[in-house]
Amino acid sequence: MSFIDTDPNEGMATQQINKKFQSGQIIQANATGFGAASDDFMERGIDLNEQLIRNKPATFFFRVNSDAMLGAGIHVGDILIVDRSLTPSSGKVVVAVLNGEFLVRRLQIQEHSISLVPENKRYGTIQVAQLEQYSTWGVVSFVIHSL
Amino acid sequence: MQAIVDCNSFYCACERLFQPQLQHAPVVVLSNNDGCIVSRSDEAKQLGINMAIPYFQAKDLIEKNKVHAFSSNYHLYGDLSWRVMETMRQLAPPGCVEVYSVDEAFINLDHIASDQLQDYCVSLKKKIETWTGISVSIGVGPNKVLSKVANRLAKKSKLLTGCVVILNDTKKIQAALQSTPIDDVWGIGYSYSEKLKTYGIHTAYALSIKDLSWGKRFLGGVPGMKLIRELKGMHSHDMQTPRTSKKMIATTRMFGRTVSEWQEIEEALATYATRTAEKLRRQHSAAYGVSVFLLKKAPPQTDISHYHHGRQVSGYVKLDNPSNLTPDIIKAVVALGKSLFEQGELYKKAGVILSDFVPDNALQTNLFVAPKDQNRKKLMNVIDNMNAAFRDDILKFATSGTQKNWKMRSERRSKRYTTRWDELCLVR
Repeated sequence: MSFIDTDPNEGMATQQINKKFQSGQIIQANATGFGAASDDFMERGIDLNEQLIRNKPATFFFRVNSDAMLGAGIHVGDILIVDRSLTPSSGKVVVAVLNGEFLVRRLQIQEHSISLVPENKRYGTIQVAQLEQYSTWGVVSFVIHSL
Repeated sequence: MQAIVDCNSFYCACERLFQPQLQHAPVVVLSNNDGCIVSRSDEAKQLGINMAIPYFQAKDLIEKNKVHAFSSNYHLYGDLSWRVMETMRQLAPPGCVEVYSVDEAFINLDHIASDQLQDYCVSLKKKIETWTGISVSIGVGPNKVLSKVANRLAKKSKLLTGCVVILNDTKKIQAALQSTPIDDVWGIGYSYSEKLKTYGIHTAYALSIKDLSWGKRFLGGVPGMKLIRELKGMHSHDMQTPRTSKKMIATTRMFGRTVSEWQEIEEALATYATRTAEKLRRQHSAAYGVSVFLLKKAPPQTDISHYHHGRQVSGYVKLDNPSNLTPDIIKAVVALGKSLFEQGELYKKAGVILSDFVPDNALQTNLFVAPKDQNRKKLMNVIDNMNAAFRDDILKFATSGTQKNWKMRSERRSKRYTTRWDELCLVR
């Protein structure tokens, strides 16, 4: 039973705007006579945070240090945006912790087993054994890659 | 009902979040300058490492048992603290979360039916852990004191309670109070607990059955009375009016020793002014009224036996425009203080009181507020945020004194995983 709204996106947009207004990021409209006509068309400009960070308290960044996920467009040196509030379901790219080590892989959940699938032929699929210490740290929502 | 959400071994949990190989290893975090142990994982507690002892005292124990010791990484802790608090603010109704410290917050749960408290708290706890990676304990009671009692029990037997304890009937409250030593009651310091023991009061329960008047007489006046009231399960005063802002905010302190120099008093007053203005901004008010008082040391020849206070001098000024900005408040407070100060007198206490509040949002939309003020507000916001993140008032106004400007030692600090691009956690 959950008493808490589980959709992290709901109301976020308005919340963010309200917050920005309070923090003064939005320039207040001073009702002082006639402003320049272009003021009416002033916008805040595109904010990447809005697109890339859906739930700020649950979003973390990691730096990629392997080419295991090359096929998914994840290169060495890239930045992963990881959202812990997303449910780690089968097929998602995740940051996982296996025996104390951080790994980025595609998660595959079968009836009685979890495996971590790479997207690079040089790497093998990792079957998570029952006795191993495993946890899914978070779901990767975006990759920042420099060209 | 009132809940307190308290992070479990918070600083250690922050370290473990990015060093999962330490998940079941003993971990401790040291204070500024690596002086004392300020956070211990359960494994470290079980080794017999005590809280707040100097590092060198525990060094043998730490090295022998391969305990991982970290220097304080306030950037990391500050960021994760914000995440935990923000998660609660997003999940609870507006205005219900009151941040109490870097790792604790009270939540007003009056909107939750009594029989759903358990499920609500379990769900809240799970969500905080999922989103932030920080595990918490939740104690719930009819007031803050009892929520603290509940929280202590939740932490004490984590497996049994699942880190959630709800005290929602008199039977449970009584049992909880009976198993709470008097030293562990919120607000009872060392000297009061020793004093209470001489009266034969060893548990919270023994104190809760005392009369209110007894508390007033033997437990520091009104605060003692309030404490007993809350232990009896009654709603405390600020519970009845949980969401209305305070009408008056004060910061008063005894000086560590008697003080006679204006410069020292000025620094003290500026520090209190800063504190008070912070509190004012937190409740989104601005004040018209500023008062200052100075308490003189009683001359030794006076014969008022149980009353060692000297004469108090005070002054009040009304600001032209209501403000909650630290520089404005400091300016008024220092000017008032200066007019009260007499050279050659000894002072033992000072206080700053702000009153006559108006809502701050009324100010923000005021047409007559110069843009300069908007910028100053932004500045205050930045300072508040930075001080919240780094603690120890890293940013201060120069009047507050800069003597405590020591160099921080942090030999074993982990990376600032969440606040620096070049220190992100690596993933393979």
